Amino acid sequence: MAVRAQFENSNEVGVFATLTNSYALVAIGGSENFYSVFEAELADVIPVVHTTIAGTRIVGRLTAGNRQGLLLPTSTTDQELQHLRNALPDTVKIQRIEERLSALGNVICCNDHVALVHPDIERETEELISDVLGVEVFRQTIADNVLTGSYCALSNQGGIVHPQTSIQDQDELSSLLQVPLVAGSINRGSAVVGAGMVVNDWMAVTGLDTTATELSVVESVFRLGEGQAPSNINTSLKDSLVESFY
Amino acid sequence: MAAPLPQPAAPPAAPAPTNDLLKRPLYVFDLPSEILTSLVVRGSGHDPAPTVSPSAEDAGPTEPSKEADPTAGMSCTLCGVKSNTIQEQRLHAKSDVHRFNMKRKIRKQPPVSEAEFEKMMEGLSESISGSDSSSSDDDASSDPLAVLLRKKAVLNATDDKDEDSAPRRHRSPIVWLSSPLLPTAATSLGIYRAIIPNLTEENDIVSLLPKLQTQPTTTAPTTSSPHVFLCMIGGGHFAAAVISIVPKLTKRSGVVEREAVVLAHKTFHRYTTRRKQGGSQAANDAAKGAAHSAGSSLRRYNEAALTADIRAVLSGWKEMLDSSILLFIRATGTNNRRTLFGYDNAVLKSSDPRIRGFPFSTRRATQSELLRCFVELTRVKVSHVDEAALLVASAAQTSASTTSTPAKTPAAKPKLSKEETLQLQHTTTLTTLLRRSKAPAIVTYLNSNKLPFTYYLNPSNHHTPTLLHLAASQSNPMVVLALLTKAPNGNKEPADPLIRNAAGKTAYDLAGDKSTREVFRVARQELGEAMFDWDSMGVGSPLSRKEYDAAVEHEKVAKEAEEKERREKETTRLRNMPDASSSGGSSAAGKGGMSLHEVLGTNAATAAREEATKGLSEEAKRRLERERRARAAEERMKRLSGK
Repeated sequence: MAVRAQFENSNEVGVFATLTNSYALVAIGGSENFYSVFEAELADVIPVVHTTIAGTRIVGRLTAGNRQGLLLPTSTTDQELQHLRNALPDTVKIQRIEERLSALGNVICCNDHVALVHPDIERETEELISDVLGVEVFRQTIADNVLTGSYCALSNQGGIVHPQTSIQDQDELSSLLQVPLVAGSINRGSAVVGAGMVVNDWMAVTGLDTTATELSVVESVFRLGEGQAPSNINTSLKDSLVESFY
Repeated sequence: MAAPLPQPAAPPAAPAPTNDLLKRPLYVFDLPSEILTSLVVRGSGHDPAPTVSPSAEDAGPTEPSKEADPTAGMSCTLCGVKSNTIQEQRLHAKSDVHRFNMKRKIRKQPPVSEAEFEKMMEGLSESISGSDSSSSDDDASSDPLAVLLRKKAVLNATDDKDEDSAPRRHRSPIVWLSSPLLPTAATSLGIYRAIIPNLTEENDIVSLLPKLQTQPTTTAPTTSSPHVFLCMIGGGHFAAAVISIVPKLTKRSGVVEREAVVLAHKTFHRYTTRRKQGGSQAANDAAKGAAHSAGSSLRRYNEAALTADIRAVLSGWKEMLDSSILLFIRATGTNNRRTLFGYDNAVLKSSDPRIRGFPFSTRRATQSELLRCFVELTRVKVSHVDEAALLVASAAQTSASTTSTPAKTPAAKPKLSKEETLQLQHTTTLTTLLRRSKAPAIVTYLNSNKLPFTYYLNPSNHHTPTLLHLAASQSNPMVVLALLTKAPNGNKEPADPLIRNAAGKTAYDLAGDKSTREVFRVARQELGEAMFDWDSMGVGSPLSRKEYDAAVEHEKVAKEAEEKERREKETTRLRNMPDASSSGGSSAAGKGGMSLHEVLGTNAATAAREEATKGLSEEAKRRLERERRARAAEERMKRLSGK
């Protein structure tokens, strides 16, 4: 199920929300419209938590997490940390990380098994990521961009990377991640797929501007629709895929 | 877990040419026998080498590069490596060469092959991981510096006398030794005092060193082999390791290398330091009393947990600690020391003669920092300073010290001329007056000191070059008006409003509020159109002073009315409040509503009572409560009898 949403006139859903298989974090906005999109889909399944991080609403860019854990930047206040501890399930490990690259959502891109991280993050952080999130960590770039979290949206089923990622790089990344990848855009041609959407194994939320074609790519690569498999891209959708334009 | 140690000098069988002895760094517990027998302590407690540095070719510990399989299959376009299985590919993606190439790619440099990378690693130890990048920067910057310094010391020892004349510590942490086998007489070898157990007299080192030598093994040393314990605590970080001093020989790409073997290690990190304020929570509690915030309780808990963790590790390592030949401990501050020493069943005793500090500055307590410290401690330092030249220099220095002292005092600040000081004084006075918006005083000051109304501030300011600019930018309409219109009719010109600051703004542009801007319109009316080009400044149509005053008055009245209304609203709100609370509270409802004062009074009294009992024990609280009830009962009885 892929749905469109907007946070206060902004299409960058991944900036204002974090979605994993065991919880969702949503920024506190002026209206509850954005929150209710998540609530409508997830309320019975996983906790949807209203929060700020370091007093800001860009929770999606500052945090990184998966089913097992949640990583917060060092600027997170104690109150926010405690609020999250109270709101999230006990099985989710929460860890505040002292890392120079504090926008963790931009530098870490992960599913429940693997994480692609910025090449410059500290060794200690790398160890913490693998301990807290229970993932194998690879320092990588995506289409020559160091911000892996911004340019890649990843779930356990598949992933979308920057539209200009070469086929060779896609193959390599896909083999490292062990999930199928496509190069694509979001929000009517935006290349920042990581910040433009959030995804877990059952749903994806994209910006309101996302075109039908982009949405169908999302649904197929993350296997969100009925009978949709990545292989379908090769047949019916191939002509409409954005990668063919570049 | 292994760290490369200073590498052995050539195969020990053939006595190497003396120049080769220093080609590779020496390990203090495995010195070549010919050097060992010929060592002599240099000077007596005199440190000949202020410019000492670890030999250039291995500053800092080098990362042992993981050997990725060169026969490859699944591709890595970046490094041009092919792996056969996913495991291999993953291993490669985590290898140092891959990371290194990625960093090169980001810097738009061509990638290097694995062989090239190995060579580079041997040459200069460029660190790959993110956390080591800062240290590699340090090394990179210090290396050329060290080379330069050494060169300078040899070529022209007298140049260095300024640095040498600084009062020196009585005991250098390093003992300097010389040997006839060394290439030049100026070369000396340095060994940290701290690494030699039972060293009391400096000259004993020559006799003690041979007893400490170890035989490198190819098998992994066990806990029974001689080892040292290192630990660091600070800022919520804890790192400890037990490292065998018997090096292990491993063959890597055809070269025999020495590696330190870490027998046990542990690191902890807990959140204990206060964000933005610094210092530990315990220190803050001791100084200011216990805080009750969410963060403080987290930190307090973490401090206790960290202490418990550390003590558990230490007691688990008790046997190894007891058999350690030395204990290197960095724990500054009472709290950190209390964590290690002086609790029940403490493993470490602060009076233990084996305990040493690190005789150099250390960084955050991490595993890699411990390894770096171990390597630093056990490496023999090499310095190339001609002691004879130094002695001559120091003698010359001492004889010249009396004369040279006054010459060294730094040149005094350039004296200000009388005029400049006067200007400075004027500016200070005028800005002070402006801040207090004393318009008449400013006019009088300018007149009496015969200063122009177009007064340029000194020291000059790019934003507000003139007094008028400053007055306008501070939104001070009275002063602006005075500067523009109060100039005496005779010889004085009014302040020139056309002057622009560095950003090309006139005083009018800087005016911060409406009334200041309107003052310019008043000035336009009073000075006339001919005086200045008012339109170029954007000043509005002329405004008579009467109109201006009326407008100001009107504004004042409006503001007062607004304030009055607000006050009234607030008082009515406060009046209504007790009613609202009485409807909710049962006790207040009985009395049919309390006044605000009463509500606050009771609340305050309850709060005060709670505050008073807060720190008391349960028993004391009960006693206090009994007392209070007895007093209340007495009061009641008195009232009843009075009736």
